[in-house]
Amino acid sequence: MPDNADILRLESLQVHFPIQGGMLDRVLGRPVRAVRAVDGIDLNVGRGEIVALVGESGSGKTTLGRVITKLAQPTGGRMLFEGRDMTSVQGSSALRPYRHRVQMIFQDAYQALNPRHTVFDIVAEPLRSLRLVENGTQLAERVSEALASAGLNPPGDFFSRFPHELSGGQRQRVVIAGALAVRPELIVADEPVSMLDVSIRAQILQVLVDLRDKHHMALLFITHDLPLAWLIADRIAVLYLGKLVEIGTADEITFNPRHPYTVALRNATPQIGGNAGRAESPALQGEVPSAARVPKGCRFHPRCPLAFDHCREEEPPPIEVGPQHLSACWLANDGRSRSS
Amino acid sequence: MSDAIVPYSPRGRARAIKGFLGQFLSYGGAQVGLVCLVFFLVVAAMPNILVGPLQTAINATGEFLEPPSSQHLLGTDEVGRDVLNLVVHGARISLTIALLATVISLVIGTTVGMTAGYFGGPVDVWLMRLTDFFFVVPSFVLALVITPVVLEVIGRGRDILGFRPSLFVIIVVIGLTSWAFVGRIVRSQTLSLKERTFIDRARVAGSSNLSIMVRHLLPNLVPQIAANGALVVTGAIYVETSLSFLGLGDPLQPSWGTLLSLAQRAGAASAGAWWYLGAPGLCVLTVSLSFVLIGNALEDTFDPRRRVIP
Amino acid sequence: MTGSSQDKAPLLEVSGLSVDYGLKGVSSRAIDSVSFALRAGEAVGLVGESGSGKTTTAMAIAGLLSPNARVSGGQVCYRGNRLPIEDDAAMRPHRWSETSVVFQGAMNALNPVHRIIKQIAEPCMLKLGMPRGEATARAGELLELVGIPADRGAAYPHELSGGMRQRVMIAMALACRPSIIIGDEPTTALDVITQAQILKLLGELRSQLNLALILITHDLSVVAESCDRVMIMYAGRIVEDGTVAEIFAKPKHPYTRLLIDSIPNPANGKKMIRPIPGDPPNLVNRPSGCAFHPRCPSAMGLCATDVPSFDKFGRSRVACHLHRSSQEDKVAAHA
Repeated sequence: MPDNADILRLESLQVHFPIQGGMLDRVLGRPVRAVRAVDGIDLNVGRGEIVALVGESGSGKTTLGRVITKLAQPTGGRMLFEGRDMTSVQGSSALRPYRHRVQMIFQDAYQALNPRHTVFDIVAEPLRSLRLVENGTQLAERVSEALASAGLNPPGDFFSRFPHELSGGQRQRVVIAGALAVRPELIVADEPVSMLDVSIRAQILQVLVDLRDKHHMALLFITHDLPLAWLIADRIAVLYLGKLVEIGTADEITFNPRHPYTVALRNATPQIGGNAGRAESPALQGEVPSAARVPKGCRFHPRCPLAFDHCREEEPPPIEVGPQHLSACWLANDGRSRSS
Repeated sequence: MSDAIVPYSPRGRARAIKGFLGQFLSYGGAQVGLVCLVFFLVVAAMPNILVGPLQTAINATGEFLEPPSSQHLLGTDEVGRDVLNLVVHGARISLTIALLATVISLVIGTTVGMTAGYFGGPVDVWLMRLTDFFFVVPSFVLALVITPVVLEVIGRGRDILGFRPSLFVIIVVIGLTSWAFVGRIVRSQTLSLKERTFIDRARVAGSSNLSIMVRHLLPNLVPQIAANGALVVTGAIYVETSLSFLGLGDPLQPSWGTLLSLAQRAGAASAGAWWYLGAPGLCVLTVSLSFVLIGNALEDTFDPRRRVIP
Repeated sequence: MTGSSQDKAPLLEVSGLSVDYGLKGVSSRAIDSVSFALRAGEAVGLVGESGSGKTTTAMAIAGLLSPNARVSGGQVCYRGNRLPIEDDAAMRPHRWSETSVVFQGAMNALNPVHRIIKQIAEPCMLKLGMPRGEATARAGELLELVGIPADRGAAYPHELSGGMRQRVMIAMALACRPSIIIGDEPTTALDVITQAQILKLLGELRSQLNLALILITHDLSVVAESCDRVMIMYAGRIVEDGTVAEIFAKPKHPYTRLLIDSIPNPANGKKMIRPIPGDPPNLVNRPSGCAFHPRCPSAMGLCATDVPSFDKFGRSRVACHLHRSSQEDKVAAHA
């Protein structure tokens, strides 16, 4: 269970990608437009905590994951890891201590593995690059240990195999083993099971949950699937168009959502045995607007069934609606629950 | 846990190479190309054993422009030298020039293309302008300009890295004028490889830019480089032939191009001395063709769409 | 279409269909003795993991098998007539006019250099012989039908969002008034909310136009919400087939049960994952007997040797030795 000390803290973190304007725009001094992929996010992850980031495509969830793993550079705000400001640290040698403690699991294991490297080389890469082992014996030991933790047994059988010689589930286990090898404290998992067959998903989720339970690793689980987030996470953060709209414990978000977007997301999710909320609330119209044209006021208002004038003018701040439960909606504390 | 540890062995790599060779050799083109190439390489490796020392006007063994006979299998030239002797010695010069020029071309092209593609931004822009420049520089003009300068500086008799200056110049000129094509191909391939997730993974694993380029990009570029390298050799052979034909070759170390040039000047065509023009011409054609065949087979072997992935 | 007798007779009947793929001299069976019937207006979900043969089954019905595929047994009948599913040219009059396919990747299936209205009008001109003006008018109607304002027809595919493109694909599929729509993972690439919109649209069109729908998907919960019947495929065979209500409430095949258990379902409140051990089967080396036996928690000796045949339970059927024995036991107990 989570400790009090946060391992990761994001303070109004921002990632804006400038849109290349034409020569004419520059001459005329037109303002540089930007894709506001991540637009001011506050989030903390405790030690050994599993936090799920839920959102549709364009919500900025993947960009946020890339910022935390230092694959993208934030354009504003701060990112603190164990209290140290990591916002502007760059370069492979300066980042070595950070990489040692923060690792990533990728969505498409086939893409994430170099087709010309063997499983051993793939899992050994972080250990070699981060200089965590002294000799070959130690290296082989650590690689075996990581493969075994990821459920590839016996590890020696996989050493000299190439990615294309593995099944989809085994490939994802190799990616996990590569992240585990350095014994990190935080793992960012970007849709780690969405490309896998249903029957394999549960196996991989089991491996991830075991990591937290046995090694006390914190996990930031990025997904578009609310039930999956409910299953694996302690807390769920819902993203819409680069901003957190709601955050709370997994049960609160699933059974007592207080933001109309979360409600819409829940109701749109197909479920075995039918989705109880579906019939009562109308399906959301339209699609997520482009992050280059974020609507004024509450960014959800053009699609929101409950929007009123105030929503079009001013963006709502996160409002506390319960213990550990925040919702960025003017109606969040409107007495009645949004779930009905 | 310790009982599960198996010492790492390069078994996987050996298996992969074996599989690759097996597939490569299954192409008819690759077989023909390899046989031809090996034949010429053997010939080029030991000309003295096969046909004796290079003949000059002084130690020429035959009459003038003698047609092929049992004595002179490929006839003789206008000063009585044995054409077979000349062609075999020419193989050595031609192949050396072509292969060394290719090495230069591939090294520069790969480095420039990979750096431009990987770093992008201004690095890419400037390196690509440089590539464009070398793309349009005609090798003939460059050779015509450089050769006299080098000869002036070094002197005709000295040698550079074991080559006579004029040969060295030709190697450098061909290398410098043919890498732009390689650079463009490598850059475009790098651009698409760079977007692959395994590059991100390598970065998260703490690998430096250099290590990502050497350990992740380069091995995935090898197929492209190898397949195009074979075409670069072909190009180099032709450029060398043309340069020598124009008289930029070294008459003391005759290549096939030089021989063609000499034959032309001796009026071999009008004199009906088909053997004098035909022998070096056929050699150029055969070697070029075998490289093209090998290049195509390499490309087919590497093409992931044809590779069997279980 | 309106006659009640026609509604009762199956619109499409697949019997004993087997398809082999030949790759480098190795032949592997993609689907094995697949039989089922589809009635007019019925929505059937074809569910399976990769390699289960669900896509091959659907492509065989539409006559869109790849050149290295070979029908090695069985037949497909449409309104009582045998379809020449192996002959691409002979299937052409049938395809689009009777059976249409909506593919997963809408971007790849649309031509990027033509306006969408033109691409929808084209099948109307080619198949129905409409003059250009009439075809364009019909294309506009079709766009409205799938919830796109007709004036958006002037857009190019890249100007539309993923959900809109999928709607265009559906409009194209409807162009020649087919009676069967095959959706090959039509919502897999879409976001949850867009997926709900598309599934709703398909449901509406189905009742409006009395369309039969074959929905191919790996996602059981999508089927649970949008189909009447579900067929579960594993390693090229149908292992269970029945109404959605029956199968999700009381799955009989161990594979179906495990599959349902491995989907997180907040509705039942149980936060647990039950992994199915092992890997999906390899088609070149298919396990003997029941293909699921190496992963099955209830496997018996018989399962490794004998291929289970179907047993009927009301409106559903299941291919599992477990149920056969229990039935026989019951019979024995009664006797």
